[in-house]
Amino acid sequence: MTTELLYALVGVGLFSLGLYALFVRANLLRKILAVNVMSSGVFLVLVALARRTGAVAPDPVPHAMVITGIVVAVSATAFALMLMLRIVQETGRAELPDTWSE
Amino acid sequence: MEVVITTFPWEVVLILAPLFGALSCFLWPKSARYLALSTVFVSVLSVVALAIRLITTGSYRHAIGGWRAPLGIELLADGLSLLMLGVTAVVGLAITVYSTGYFPNRQLLRFWPLWLLLLAALNALFLSGDLFNLYVALELTGLAAVALTALSGGRAALISAMRYLFATLLGSMSYLLGVVLIYHSFGSLDIMILAQRVVQSPVVWSAMGLMSAGLALKTALFPLHFWLPPAHASAPAPVSAALSALVVKASFYVLLRLWLEVFPPGQTAMLGELFGALGVAAIFWGGLQALRAGQLKLLIAYSTVMQVGYFFLAFPLAMAAAWCGVLYLLLSHALAKAAMFLAAGNIIYFSGHDRIVDFDRIANQLPMTLAAFALAGVSIMGLPPSGGFVAKWLMVEASLKSGQWWWAFALIIGSLAAAAYVFKVVGHAFTQTTVRGQTNAVPALMEWTALALALTSILLGLVASWPLAWLEIGGMFSCESAR
Amino acid sequence: MVCCRQTATRLASGTSRRGQRCEPDNQRCDATRDQDVDAQNLTQWIFDTLTGLGLLCLAWMALASSQLIKAIVLFVAFGLLMALTWVRLDAVDIALAEVAIGAGLTGALLLAALAKLTAVQTATSKAAHRSPKDRAARKLYRMPAALLLLVAAGLAYSVLSLPLNSRGLSIEVGANLDASGVGNPVTAVLLNFRGYDTLLEIFVLFLALLGVWSLGSLPPHRIEPAGPVLNTLVVVLAPLLILLAAYFLWAGAHGPGGAFQAGATLGAAGVLLQLAGWKPGPGFARLPWKLILLAGPALFILFALFTLVTGQHLLEYAPERAGILILLLETGATFSIGLTLAALFFGERPDDAEGR
Repeated sequence: MTTELLYALVGVGLFSLGLYALFVRANLLRKILAVNVMSSGVFLVLVALARRTGAVAPDPVPHAMVITGIVVAVSATAFALMLMLRIVQETGRAELPDTWSE
Repeated sequence: MEVVITTFPWEVVLILAPLFGALSCFLWPKSARYLALSTVFVSVLSVVALAIRLITTGSYRHAIGGWRAPLGIELLADGLSLLMLGVTAVVGLAITVYSTGYFPNRQLLRFWPLWLLLLAALNALFLSGDLFNLYVALELTGLAAVALTALSGGRAALISAMRYLFATLLGSMSYLLGVVLIYHSFGSLDIMILAQRVVQSPVVWSAMGLMSAGLALKTALFPLHFWLPPAHASAPAPVSAALSALVVKASFYVLLRLWLEVFPPGQTAMLGELFGALGVAAIFWGGLQALRAGQLKLLIAYSTVMQVGYFFLAFPLAMAAAWCGVLYLLLSHALAKAAMFLAAGNIIYFSGHDRIVDFDRIANQLPMTLAAFALAGVSIMGLPPSGGFVAKWLMVEASLKSGQWWWAFALIIGSLAAAAYVFKVVGHAFTQTTVRGQTNAVPALMEWTALALALTSILLGLVASWPLAWLEIGGMFSCESAR
Repeated sequence: MVCCRQTATRLASGTSRRGQRCEPDNQRCDATRDQDVDAQNLTQWIFDTLTGLGLLCLAWMALASSQLIKAIVLFVAFGLLMALTWVRLDAVDIALAEVAIGAGLTGALLLAALAKLTAVQTATSKAAHRSPKDRAARKLYRMPAALLLLVAAGLAYSVLSLPLNSRGLSIEVGANLDASGVGNPVTAVLLNFRGYDTLLEIFVLFLALLGVWSLGSLPPHRIEPAGPVLNTLVVVLAPLLILLAAYFLWAGAHGPGGAFQAGATLGAAGVLLQLAGWKPGPGFARLPWKLILLAGPALFILFALFTLVTGQHLLEYAPERAGILILLLETGATFSIGLTLAALFFGERPDDAEGR
């Protein structure tokens, strides 16, 4: 197993951990953390596998994709945090009420 | 003049104009409504010019930056993207005009930049030929949609917006992981190049699963629909119209492109059957919940859940007639559902609420609105002459031709359920209530836009041959048998 | 391949001189080189395994922690370890962006949100009622861990079945790098080959700010006055960060760096100033500052319209002017990104904050 595959598997692990936490944790701030961990996992898979070019420099296109992805993630996080604060202001709790009965 | 129209890259105008409009609405909020209206007019004219260009010279691709794929990003202009752009422009125009009357001033100022960014994102999505570019466009669309949902600021709107945000982020992340796997297997992000390179392999299985799951979540296919009814019901009416009519179609469009171009044909059969089964479940569940809904916007939202089930019936059928049918359904549903939500908006503006049993002789007070709702209902039910009828006819035909008659059964049951809930609403519109509330006069502009959209969806049933012919530009499939 | 060995030759005078003797393909030298490579491999393996385990552990602890403050701090540590991983994977541009945006600014946003969370909860003091139905229904949402393990296993299998070597698009990028106007391949891809993605991404950041501003305002919260340590630190660090941002912007053309890293550094300077007690007044939501906020998206759109009007492809650079145009667009983007990130940290629209 090469370095690249090792880190790619770590990325898959992070994605799965984040996915699990997103479903299981009820607090909105924790859900936001989970989404960030998931995206870090995806980026890790992307960049780790980009290094399979051999002795030369790694493939730069995945690097550009990840930089774009990081900016998109921080934008979504900032918006999600403000939305969470407004929900706490309206309902007093940082959680989504269950709507399974709808 | 002819030369200008046939050589100018109109698709670029469609993306840049709303972006430019959003910036100017942000800089000069006092004149925002005029800036927004002019932007939308420019979009409509560009779609017409693009249509002329495509019809005369055929489909083409625009290499951004002068770099051809796989190094650069290419924009795809063919029949499928033209139709999606067209319906976005028409519904966008109607919603823009409607919104000038609907929102109180303070909300309106915040509405315009968000709305124009949503239009830009949709246009960019429908034109993109690159998988990662589609991811960025999907994120832009999702964030704009969530921000618009939360605009009314009430408790229900904020909570449903948050749920919608998580659903859309999860969907995008899943899609992106699929893109990562495909890129590292085949070395390109371009759809057309991948169409030639992709072969069956375990990686493609995973990528297909991830991308389909993510996009199905964003399109609210049962059982991943949980976020849609509260979001579409608690958003302001013009926003609900945009969400049900356009945003839900965007992720379905991406799934359709991937299915037709990228996913290897031999591997898609099982997934198609799964989609069909979930579609049938969506039809039953959506119809049931719509019948039980007490509020008009919630009823219309569940109707969307049901219609999304129809869309996914095309996947197990996988033949030209089915694709043509489902695309026609996308168009007519967009127009009809937007008209329904705008009509609901009129009722809410008028009486301050949308509880169906408490409608107070709406038929007398808002006849045009009721007519709009009823006409839109005709298309949703699939009665002739309407776009919905043509679409359902095509799909039933495909289902019978391929011997899988059970899909036709689901389609017909769905139509019956749709008839039931449309008649429920129309019936209550003639009744009186004991509790009278305050009423506001609805601006004529709002009533006219709702009616105009509903008439367009009926019109689609009368001139079916043209849109079906335009779908064929680019040679993805032929709708010959349908015409 | 040339192999050089350390040699020690005994001179006639009796002293020994150390030096290097280089000869091709020496057998004995190969053996030593192999041992060195093996040792190097082993250390790399240990490092990689520890880093991988560390990432997974930090993520797990952050997500499972019982206190929110612990969770956020562990998340920031996770971000820093990620940055180290990026360096290990030869992705230095990403490492800079991760440290600045991923660990730094995201951490700041999270901590600020946590602080405001406690403030808002005490201010509104709404009764938090939890009905029994809530509790029961909650169980339905618990995704079975077994299903998740299945998904993870499937993904791991797919990843392992990928070929060990793949050039990806690095050949095409290398072939066209000279025509792109910059020397750093990542900057070339971001600003030239796939500049359209960057255009949309800058609008995503702008959209996030629009979204945050459209959500309205929160109840006012008390900010601790900055102590002498923080004051001194800010006086020293803020100008340094601005200089660093300018350096990243300039250096991004030929080495690691670029508009996003520079913009994030500027944003960090803005966050530091706010932590020291500086509050943006209502003038910051008026036209001159709005123009700076939009500098990035506006310059991109104007350039795009220019290419459209002159009959070229969208965002097409003439090769001789590409370098300067890219620098211009990156400068606008830097200002926009910096101001937007600082504004996102502040949270509300400055005139809303004033109007309370």
